Amino acid sequence: MAMEREKSAHAGALACPTCDFHTTVAEPNDAIECYRRHRSVTGHAIAWERTALDAAVETDDVETALDGLGDEYGEGVPLGVLTAALAERGVTIEETLDAIYALRMEGAIYEPRDDRVLVV
Amino acid sequence: MTRWNDGRDEIGAVSADITEETNALPARYFTDPDVHEMEKEKVFGRYWVYAGHANRIPERGDYFTRTIGGKQIIVTRDGEGDVRAFYNVCAHRGSKMLDDAPMTDPGSLGRITCPYHLWTYELDGDLASTPKSFEEATLNPDLDDESVRGLDPEANGLMEVTLDSIGPLVFVNFADDPDLTLAEQAGSMKDELEALPLEEYELARRYVSEVECNWKTFSGNYSECDHCQANHQDWVRGLELMESELEVNDYHWILHYQHREDVEDEMRIHDEHEAKFYYFWPNFTVNMYGTADGYGTYIIDPIDEGRFQLIADYYFRDADLTEEEEEFVQTSRQLQEEDFELVERQYDGLRSGALAQAQLGPNEHTVHKLHRLAQDAYEA
Ligand code: FES
Ligand SMILES: [Fe+2]
Ligand SMILES: [Zn+2]
Repeated sequence: MAMEREKSAHAGALACPTCDFHTTVAEPNDAIECYRRHRSVTGHAIAWERTALDAAVETDDVETALDGLGDEYGEGVPLGVLTAALAERGVTIEETLDAIYALRMEGAIYEPRDDRVLVV
Repeated sequence: MTRWNDGRDEIGAVSADITEETNALPARYFTDPDVHEMEKEKVFGRYWVYAGHANRIPERGDYFTRTIGGKQIIVTRDGEGDVRAFYNVCAHRGSKMLDDAPMTDPGSLGRITCPYHLWTYELDGDLASTPKSFEEATLNPDLDDESVRGLDPEANGLMEVTLDSIGPLVFVNFADDPDLTLAEQAGSMKDELEALPLEEYELARRYVSEVECNWKTFSGNYSECDHCQANHQDWVRGLELMESELEVNDYHWILHYQHREDVEDEMRIHDEHEAKFYYFWPNFTVNMYGTADGYGTYIIDPIDEGRFQLIADYYFRDADLTEEEEEFVQTSRQLQEEDFELVERQYDGLRSGALAQAQLGPNEHTVHKLHRLAQDAYEA
């Protein structure tokens, strides 16, 4: 699917480990929307298969990773970027989003724009 | 005649007669974000739309959720064993109550409780209980407890969504007073499907794909077979395309695909020696396979004007598939992918804005019906 798109600028490819869903996304946060849509109709958690973003982190700790990326993204780190960077460290989108939810509920992070977060 | 956006050609309404020149829905109805917004009401808010399969919620309190045209609903089985649908919206202050639970992974509950202030509802939608703070005015110095009015369970219950079924297939209609009953919208399809033991089959697979085109672009592709010879070569090899027929009815059309003599087709749910694919306006299909004892359904769910989710469900006698059934599903998936390539390519072309109004061929009468129904819906 979306073969043409792959040649142009894109954020990466996602796949579902449970069914045979594959897709590519243009913007990092499209991945988050796609994750939610797939979850809503299947209950499955899709994962990054390949990312084409420069953002890299040295850790598999979500809060530390977010803190590190925060300098580059003044308006908040897009969850798509964060999940992609952490995927390279073996952290799934589901794990990252769960950790983000927990951090938000602790008041440790905030969301200056929809689906963009920063450490407090 | 094709109409271009060249400043000279003029578009017209979709003619009732397919042999007339303006026989297709103008291209902007496939690409305009405003049309997508309009369709939420005029298409998905007025007709009978498929919600899911009743087999997935066999027991009292089993439920699944669905979002249709932006409206979130709960489909559940009440104490009487009836399937009912409610908005997933609390009668107190409008909170979404239940988390999404697709019918592949249904939930179960005794009562519906809103997490916000814990108003609780029976499975028939009636308000069952509220916390003390809604019965006493303890925090309000201006009120004494006696002046707090009681909440009538029914008047303060959930908002129900009109629901009806064809066999185990559950449909909802969001209109306050639907123009048509489900039986009227489905016509002969209802009797034909209810003559088959659809409820004896189990959901074995669900495949969801996100495709980059307007939902109606895919619907049109599903409905015609002028593209099959060139694009589904493996599949048409087993077909007698010239003997096949595309049958159009008021709100549904049936693609009867005849098999060649030498095709082994004893395994079928229905009697006719053919594959029988029903398209039911606006966005549902039932695929009666010709060479496997099972059926499938498609939900063609818009995401926005340029994308949709295809939710493909496969039903067989047993959810544990035989090797042949696995293979059959894979062939079906292959057909889907071939079609996705075609419709994404078509949509790439449409999006460039050159085409103002397409033209349909004589064997695209099913697509013509689709375009006519869309136009009727927009004008209503
Ligand atoms: S909004 Fe549901 S209990 Fe208040
Ligand atoms: Fe096709
Ligand atoms: Zn999946």
